[in-house]
Amino acid sequence: MTTLVLDDLRKSYSRAGPAALHGLSLTVASGSLTALLGPSGSGKTTTMKLIAGLIAADSGDIRLGDRSIRDLPPERRGVAMVFQNPLLFPHLTVAGNVGFGLRMRGLPPTRIDASVAEMLDRVRLGDLAQRKPAQLSGGQAQRAALARALILRPEVLLLDEPLSSLDPALRDEMRLLIRTLQRETGITTIVVTHDQAEAVALADRIALLLEGRLVQDDTPQAFYARPATTAVARFFGGVNFIPGTVRDAVFDCAIGPLALPQGLPQGPGLLTIRPESLRLGPGPNLRAAQIVAVDFLGSLTRIDLALDGVALQAMVTPDTARGLSVGARISVSFPPEALWILPH
Amino acid sequence: MRADRMRTLAALALAGFLILPILPLAIWSLAHGWRFPDLVPQTWTLKAWSLAVDARSGVLHSLAVTAGIALATTLLAALIGLPAGRALGLYRFRGKGLVTLLLLAPAFLPGIAIVFGLHGVFLRLGLVGTVPGVILAHLIPVLPYMVLVMAAVFSRFDPEFEAQARSLGATPWQTFSRVTLPAVLPGLMTAALFAFLVSWSQYLLTLAIGGGRVQTLPLLLFSFSSAGRNDLTSAIALLYILPGLLVLLVTARQVTGRSLALVGGLRP
Amino acid sequence: MTDRTRIALLLAPALLVLAGLFLTGLGLTLLRSFRYLPGLGLTEPDLAAYAAVLTAPGFLRSLALSLWIATASTVIAAVLALAAALLLRQTFPGRTLIAFLVQLNLTIPHIVGAIGILYLVSQSGSFARLAHAAGLISAPAEFPILTHDPYAIGIILLYVWKELPFITLILLANLQTLGEDHEAVARSLGASRWQAFRHVLLPMVLPGLATASALVFAFAFGAYEVPLVLGAHAPKALPVLAWQAWTDTDLASRSEAMAMAVVIAVVGLALLALVARGLRLGGQDAR
Repeated sequence: MTTLVLDDLRKSYSRAGPAALHGLSLTVASGSLTALLGPSGSGKTTTMKLIAGLIAADSGDIRLGDRSIRDLPPERRGVAMVFQNPLLFPHLTVAGNVGFGLRMRGLPPTRIDASVAEMLDRVRLGDLAQRKPAQLSGGQAQRAALARALILRPEVLLLDEPLSSLDPALRDEMRLLIRTLQRETGITTIVVTHDQAEAVALADRIALLLEGRLVQDDTPQAFYARPATTAVARFFGGVNFIPGTVRDAVFDCAIGPLALPQGLPQGPGLLTIRPESLRLGPGPNLRAAQIVAVDFLGSLTRIDLALDGVALQAMVTPDTARGLSVGARISVSFPPEALWILPH
Repeated sequence: MRADRMRTLAALALAGFLILPILPLAIWSLAHGWRFPDLVPQTWTLKAWSLAVDARSGVLHSLAVTAGIALATTLLAALIGLPAGRALGLYRFRGKGLVTLLLLAPAFLPGIAIVFGLHGVFLRLGLVGTVPGVILAHLIPVLPYMVLVMAAVFSRFDPEFEAQARSLGATPWQTFSRVTLPAVLPGLMTAALFAFLVSWSQYLLTLAIGGGRVQTLPLLLFSFSSAGRNDLTSAIALLYILPGLLVLLVTARQVTGRSLALVGGLRP
Repeated sequence: MTDRTRIALLLAPALLVLAGLFLTGLGLTLLRSFRYLPGLGLTEPDLAAYAAVLTAPGFLRSLALSLWIATASTVIAAVLALAAALLLRQTFPGRTLIAFLVQLNLTIPHIVGAIGILYLVSQSGSFARLAHAAGLISAPAEFPILTHDPYAIGIILLYVWKELPFITLILLANLQTLGEDHEAVARSLGASRWQAFRHVLLPMVLPGLATASALVFAFAFGAYEVPLVLGAHAPKALPVLAWQAWTDTDLASRSEAMAMAVVIAVVGLALLALVARGLRLGGQDAR
């Protein structure tokens, strides 16, 4: 297994048009499951096609271990890609589809049949080997497409939005299957997705692309606790932002000084706290706020607050929210360990 | 870059191949005698063209007859084909395969296979040698084409629109004329234009059923050609391909995807 | 009104017209080929016409010629059309013009194309003139005989010219619906460019290609006006031979014409049966 390195990749689709990727550098650790996350148009599909060799980069390099694969044709890269749509070949059976890559390599049929049978069992399609793709359900087709790529034991496996074409009920099952197979095989895997919840649930590491640039490459937890920019924080559901200045371990702002943890950068900055970390009730950094709105959302309740002219949002359990009414004044505390400073 | 050059060469070869047989027709139609081995005629003239538009040559009359037959055939085929296309495009029913087979059959069975028998039938009905007889005969290749294209058009039409119109107070006729027809009209127009061309191109059916008394353009073309009038033949041939050119220019705007499939459905 | 009544009413006019014209024409041809002519007092069907046709040496040679014309035209046109469709699927300068020429060609009547080919490749045609200018020949008779020739080269040339665009357009429409993703998948699964074409794209367009080719074969086998313009006096293409028999003053040869028409119909029906089977079983072939 080898590390995948993207080095200053650039790509624009038309000479005059805007670039799709502006110098992307990313290292994907060997054996990791990395999510390439971003909204549509952020360049994640472009990145994936560049790695797969389906399009050519304008500049930059792609390396697997110490060899550059940038100029290799797709079939010689050791990179297999599973598209968003399963794209099973309609003229082949499920077994024919799964064995496709091995046949292209010219392996003897008996060995192909054995590998295919084993692979189909692993994705629980053993009974459907002789079916045609048209006779499969969406989940079955997606599993067959995954098996078709995995059987090749690629050095890198690329999955493009593997869950988006599935019913919600099937998503958890597929997510679990991808995790399990990835751990068992140890294949370096990159999942492209626009859904941050999916990225968090699936990946060891997330690389977030915004407008053709890598903005943060980190563990899923870090995206919540320590977002690199306001845009990252917003993408992960951040809504509370208060401008001010950091001096030593204190943040000066419109709602008065707030105690911070040690080691944050000094000077002007934007304080952020996740809505679920804002505590209703007594605690450190205690303030009084007025309730502007209470919205029951199911498992959580959203409370909109006004605090000295600053709008804040808190997410609490329905139990905590019981008895809160619009217009009431309540105490709010800002636990220092939940505070994070963004560049302003 | 080598691949680029190969592609350019292939494209040029294809374009040349497609245009080549038309070139001698263009030259002949303007030639005043064009003896071997002259590469181009010694003298150029518009004589063939002026003869072609002269009433005495009968070309204009043939043109009118041919166009009239094609128009009438297309209109009939549209009237009969629209409902049939609707049935095939919107419904699943027993015997649908059989109906489709019957519609495909005229494309696979050449005119020569049925025209002798048809002649016998038409003889008894007094239709041989008449324009209505020729129009009916032309329906054999034209109608299936129309029905199959309209079936494809209707298969992309959502009948819920009609239910919606009815629930808003439209009568069945209003629903058809204000909702259904506008929705299928682009497809119907394209189908009609190409149906026109199918009739316009018929040779054998006209020859056999027309019995020599219905002189359409292709028949006239062949008689001038076998008489060795290369100049006049070429002028008529160019006149004869004009409607096809017009149809293409009219539909060129939409010749991608959907209409490409319509054109693709045309008989060889 | 039930759906069934509605469907029946919608279909009735078209089915009546087709049954009245097409099936009646076919049926009467069949009856007369068995020499069933009550008007002439022939009420006992027999196979005399078929016997006469099959024993006449001209018929078998004409049948062979027509099969040769149809086979050669279809194979050449299909192969070239596949290449043309793959070419036109890409974007390159001049693509629009070529796409226009392809479609224009489809609208040109066969007889016009046949006359164009005649003026192009006959012994005094444009190519012969070019050969003379290049010093390759000194008289028309030295130019190879490409029209009215026993191998039907001129006829095949015309069909390739005319049917290549037909197959190309069907394939292009086909390729447009398929998109390029299946090939991309194949490439990422280790298929070379050629393997992706051979094992993925070709099998996927094959049903369309086969249907289009069958239509072309049927047409090239049964068309009358093309061999009329470009064909040799002997052997004649089967449709021309049949027409000649039908217009013969000897009434006996009319039944023979009907028998030949039935033979042509059988070939067309066989092709239709193949296509119908293919359509129903489309994509069902095993790997």
